[in-house]
Amino acid sequence: MAATTRLRPGAGRRLGFAVVRFGYIGGFLAFLLFPLYWMVVTSIKPTGDFLAIPPVWFPAEPTTVHYTAALFSYRGLQALINSLIIASATTVLSVVVGTLMGYSLARFNTGGQHLAFWVLSQRFLPAIAVVLPIFLLYRTYGLYDTHAGLILIYTVFTLPLTVWTMYAYFRQLPKELDDAARVDGCTRFQALWDVDLPLAAPGIVAAGVFAFVFAWTEFFFALNLTSQHAFTLPSIFRSFLGFQGAQYGESSALTVISLVPSIALGLLVQRHLVRGLTLGALQG
Amino acid sequence: MADGAGLNGVAPRRAVATWRGGVSSWTDRYFGVLLVLPAVLLILALSIYPLVYSLWVSFVNYDFQIPGHAFVGWLNFQEVVADPVARASLANTAILSAAVVVLELALGLPLAMAMLKPFRGRGMIMPILLMPLFMSPVIVGQFWSLLLQRPFGPTDYLLGRLVGHPVTISWLTETPWKFVSIILADVWQWTPFMFVILLAGLTAISHELYEAADLDGVTPMQSLYHMTLPLLAPIILLAVTFRLLDAVKLFDVIYVMTGGGPGTSTYTASFYLYQTGFQEFHLSQATAGSWIFLALITLVIMALVRRLLRPEAA
Repeated sequence: MAATTRLRPGAGRRLGFAVVRFGYIGGFLAFLLFPLYWMVVTSIKPTGDFLAIPPVWFPAEPTTVHYTAALFSYRGLQALINSLIIASATTVLSVVVGTLMGYSLARFNTGGQHLAFWVLSQRFLPAIAVVLPIFLLYRTYGLYDTHAGLILIYTVFTLPLTVWTMYAYFRQLPKELDDAARVDGCTRFQALWDVDLPLAAPGIVAAGVFAFVFAWTEFFFALNLTSQHAFTLPSIFRSFLGFQGAQYGESSALTVISLVPSIALGLLVQRHLVRGLTLGALQG
Repeated sequence: MADGAGLNGVAPRRAVATWRGGVSSWTDRYFGVLLVLPAVLLILALSIYPLVYSLWVSFVNYDFQIPGHAFVGWLNFQEVVADPVARASLANTAILSAAVVVLELALGLPLAMAMLKPFRGRGMIMPILLMPLFMSPVIVGQFWSLLLQRPFGPTDYLLGRLVGHPVTISWLTETPWKFVSIILADVWQWTPFMFVILLAGLTAISHELYEAADLDGVTPMQSLYHMTLPLLAPIILLAVTFRLLDAVKLFDVIYVMTGGGPGTSTYTASFYLYQTGFQEFHLSQATAGSWIFLALITLVIMALVRRLLRPEAA
């Protein structure tokens, strides 16, 4: 177009861009952090500060009573243990089963594109469509309100994620590695176990973390498939509804407790985040 | 193709196999199928079988208040379609999910552009921007309630200071504020989703392209409209699709923030089906409704996903 003018943006304009740019980032950070700050502060506020006007931005005498109450009076500890068991078991099961399938899809093209897309379509299946029949079936087979029941359904709902993450990962590994191992006399299983799995370790870790975070944060199944025994951390929040106000300290304390592990784990695999979120459709 | 050649290539060696070799050659031959079996069986048992079972439930009378499972044909479906609450829930779902996806795109795209080029502190800001993705939506709803709800939350106080006179908005019960609150919580949590995907897309666009454009005197606005957006379009579509298909399931935030109320005014499709099935125990009506919902979602998936996710031929 205006090839002859060749106007370089002036220094003032450049400064203007920088102000807008960092202003926007700063504003967004404030929007993200303020609710978190308020929650953390609420969890260490003495109950008397809750209703103060103007609001207490930081308590003069921070307290841990809400944490003890949340863990021991509101069965938070039990929920924490349940969540750990269920999320860990889901991770292991989903990663093992998903890795095997991902490998098969990538190396042998098993079932062609149809099988891969069939698994993928599970990712978009609304939980509400299966939770009612699962509820009825679980009651019949004694899986209602058990750890095993939640682990099984979480595994199925994380499979699209683990299968497609590993599918994408194995597709990147050169096929020649397998062929070389086969020529050296390895069985197919040995080729998978000794050659491909060690190379795919980073992908396996990422898939595992995603499965863990899913099981750790899932609410809908936990709400409907557990009651007095296998309840998880997110599902414990149902018992705080209806007692508005009085329990804000306890619920905030539980929120803090449940946020720490999943955020810590999630940030570990930040590099793989985009691939995980888009099921391998996009590289991060 | 390439796989088939590989399999054929090892066939001659199998001819000299011993008995032990016979077993391992059997596992070798069906190795691919064996590996997918556990996953396929799990999905069949806990997803496909329940879906088929629910189809049966939706055509009979499965109601904890009425004994027996008499076949009733399309009655359950008719009841859902005729229910004004069901229609209102579906409308809420459509409006809320459209609103959050548009807002998250509108906020996430500029954020991705602002974060694209390296600057000091970028490495510290990234984790903060990604944090919400690892949180339970229930918890997000929980602390937004904490922030908004009168008289405990500081929102009304802060707004009052800002505009100079007392503000008394009941954020979780008044129209339209209850919808604003729900949207706020969702946008807070999922704008980072749009951001991180769009950032990956922007990173993939070649630097040389911008340098060439800069040399040719193209203004930043021109390069945005004529280069960035067209090149980013497939990624935007991908992000919007993934986000939309999750947004239509909106439940957790509703459950904690408004409980569907006041009355049934903030019911979404998922919340309506949950109420019908698990609170009123009209199981047949709820399964019929979830099949209708599933059919509607499938239409959206057919239109969007299959076109998007065709992986490159390996």
